Amino acid sequence: MEHKDRIRMNIGPVHPAMHGVLKLILDVEGDTVVKAEPEIGFLHRASEKIAEMRYFSNYYPIMDKLDYVSALNMEILYASTVEKAAGITISERATYMRTIMAEIQRIMSHLIFIGSLGEDFGNLTSFIWALRERELLMTIVEKISGGRLAPMYMCNGGMFYDFPEGIDKDILEALDKIENKVKHEYSAVFTKNQIFLSRTKGIGIMTKDMIKRYGITGPIARASGINRDLRKVSPYLAYDKVDFDVPVEENGDTYSRFIVRLNEILESIKIIRQCLKQLPAGNYKTAVPWIIRIPKKDTFVKQESSRGEMGIFLVTDGSDKPYRLKLRSPTFFAIRALEELLVNVKVADAFVIVASIDPVMGEVDR
Amino acid sequence: MEESNEFSYPGMSEVIFMKAQKFIDTVLNWGRSNSLWPLTFGTSCCAIEMMTFGATKVDSDRLGVLFVGDSPRQSDLILVSGTITKKMARRLLNVYEQMPDPKYVIAVGACNISGGLYHDSYNTIDGIDRIMPVDAFVPGCPPRPEEFLDAVRVLQKLIKENKSKAQKNGKS
Amino acid sequence: MENLSEKLIKEFNGKLDAIKGQNNLNIVALKNKKLIKKLSWEIKNYFDILYTLTVVDYSPVFELNYVFSNYENDDILIVKVNLDEKDLSIDSITDIFDSANWEEREAYDLFGIKFNGHPDLRRILLPEDWPGHPLRKSFEINDEVRHWTGLDLKF
Repeated sequence: MEHKDRIRMNIGPVHPAMHGVLKLILDVEGDTVVKAEPEIGFLHRASEKIAEMRYFSNYYPIMDKLDYVSALNMEILYASTVEKAAGITISERATYMRTIMAEIQRIMSHLIFIGSLGEDFGNLTSFIWALRERELLMTIVEKISGGRLAPMYMCNGGMFYDFPEGIDKDILEALDKIENKVKHEYSAVFTKNQIFLSRTKGIGIMTKDMIKRYGITGPIARASGINRDLRKVSPYLAYDKVDFDVPVEENGDTYSRFIVRLNEILESIKIIRQCLKQLPAGNYKTAVPWIIRIPKKDTFVKQESSRGEMGIFLVTDGSDKPYRLKLRSPTFFAIRALEELLVNVKVADAFVIVASIDPVMGEVDR
Repeated sequence: MEESNEFSYPGMSEVIFMKAQKFIDTVLNWGRSNSLWPLTFGTSCCAIEMMTFGATKVDSDRLGVLFVGDSPRQSDLILVSGTITKKMARRLLNVYEQMPDPKYVIAVGACNISGGLYHDSYNTIDGIDRIMPVDAFVPGCPPRPEEFLDAVRVLQKLIKENKSKAQKNGKS
Repeated sequence: MENLSEKLIKEFNGKLDAIKGQNNLNIVALKNKKLIKKLSWEIKNYFDILYTLTVVDYSPVFELNYVFSNYENDDILIVKVNLDEKDLSIDSITDIFDSANWEEREAYDLFGIKFNGHPDLRRILLPEDWPGHPLRKSFEINDEVRHWTGLDLKF
């Protein structure tokens, strides 16, 4: 006998399978989801209001905690915005250093994604493996900046410290290890694993039209065949001086979203290697006073973070604090697509689809 | 008036009972302190370091902290890691109240100690000890995974010495 | 891109102002807020998504910054609309740009701006019974707000 009774399930905000503090309100018939409504705001920490109370130089720690999985990307974005608004130019060495840090952070972020995606269907091996590789890079970030998850490495005009002596050897060593693992070892638990394939292929398909309707960017859009990467479209930092490809998949399912990110790790490794080779000598920091005043104007800067296009709309009024700072977060748009994406899928698959979006709620709720 | 001057010796059975109770307590506390199953209440940044705490390098398993239950009904330790907002506060208490006694709380990160970076935010709680009893605080923003180990050691010591908040409130 | 803002300005003669590009941004200012839907239809020919919607509180005037973007190139267009404090409402553009849905809900949540014709105008980040609109400049963060635990919130 078929049960046609509708049940409303509240999953989250605290649920072992949920990523961060996302809440899903699912209407289910039997085991099939018929209506899905994501609810956000459980980590709304008022980052935008706090910006109005901090000096420009003192806001970096808050940027760290926005997308805490790729904190350096956030810092670089904020530094670029303030520098653009205040008309500060940074040295060429600083751009290269920032590129290297951004890509290291991107690899770390994608490794977390890979780990948590595997964990969602009981593949604890992938989780342990991904975190093991991530720890290699974490050690390097620690050596460079002194911090782990929230490095607070960037400042207006460059970086707080130069790279320590001999760090390039460490980085290359770690990259070799990761490349080897990603290319040869990960296939055993992912791309050649029948369970992984059957749980991800053809699940949660996002069409091109859907991507454009919801305004989704980043790896999710590229998994659906939209070839757009701000690093290529409008190169910032040193991205126009290095050679890399933008991985694009056509299917738009969970598997494609995984493959795009896996390939991005390899591309990032390529970028870091080239940057280290080209790394020029010179100043790592332009001397900028701690308290700066920016005249009245609007500044809009967008960059490719590991989750998509992150942007900052900065309104200044001549004082030493921002008048208004609006954060455009990529996952905020992607989460909304769950309304449509989760309909007509099994409840068990819903979690895998949520994991494939790779939400970090700190950035969604701000 | 006369009764107050009277001094009564504990009977033999009472002595045995007290000693036995103390012995049982010691055994129980030893067991409890060495098999802390945490409920991972990870909301933000600290949750990522909590993942590292459970993964290979730091390895929480060697202190008996196994990330297996993840259900409030079978955990005896709640690791509140990450900012608790005003929308989340009631949910946190809801989860906490579902845990069986004795339950222990470790508050991770500056946000849970005093509000930390978000002390002047309109939507965060400045310190979760405003809403629930906390046994150990882990400072840092976010703390290093090794500091989680330290907090667990501190908590284990508290439990063995019968000094945790739950035991003080007579809920052991 | 110069062409687009010029073309739009010509079409909306008198109703649309060009603002000299600061930092190479294409900024136009819309004088009459009732024309936002018409303008959006026009913009739809060139841009795919509403990239973000920023509200700035210059009390007594609230300035809405619609940022449009597309997938083919790097162009963005910023449309500024001014709302008066006494009448904080504007037509919703969700039926034209679907990606505006949650951005408008956020503006309603944090600033209290009403979007007429929005399909589901509820608070998004804060609970439904949260008092006030916190990102307004008039919202003061005092000790009472900071020490409030929020346990009395229903949602």
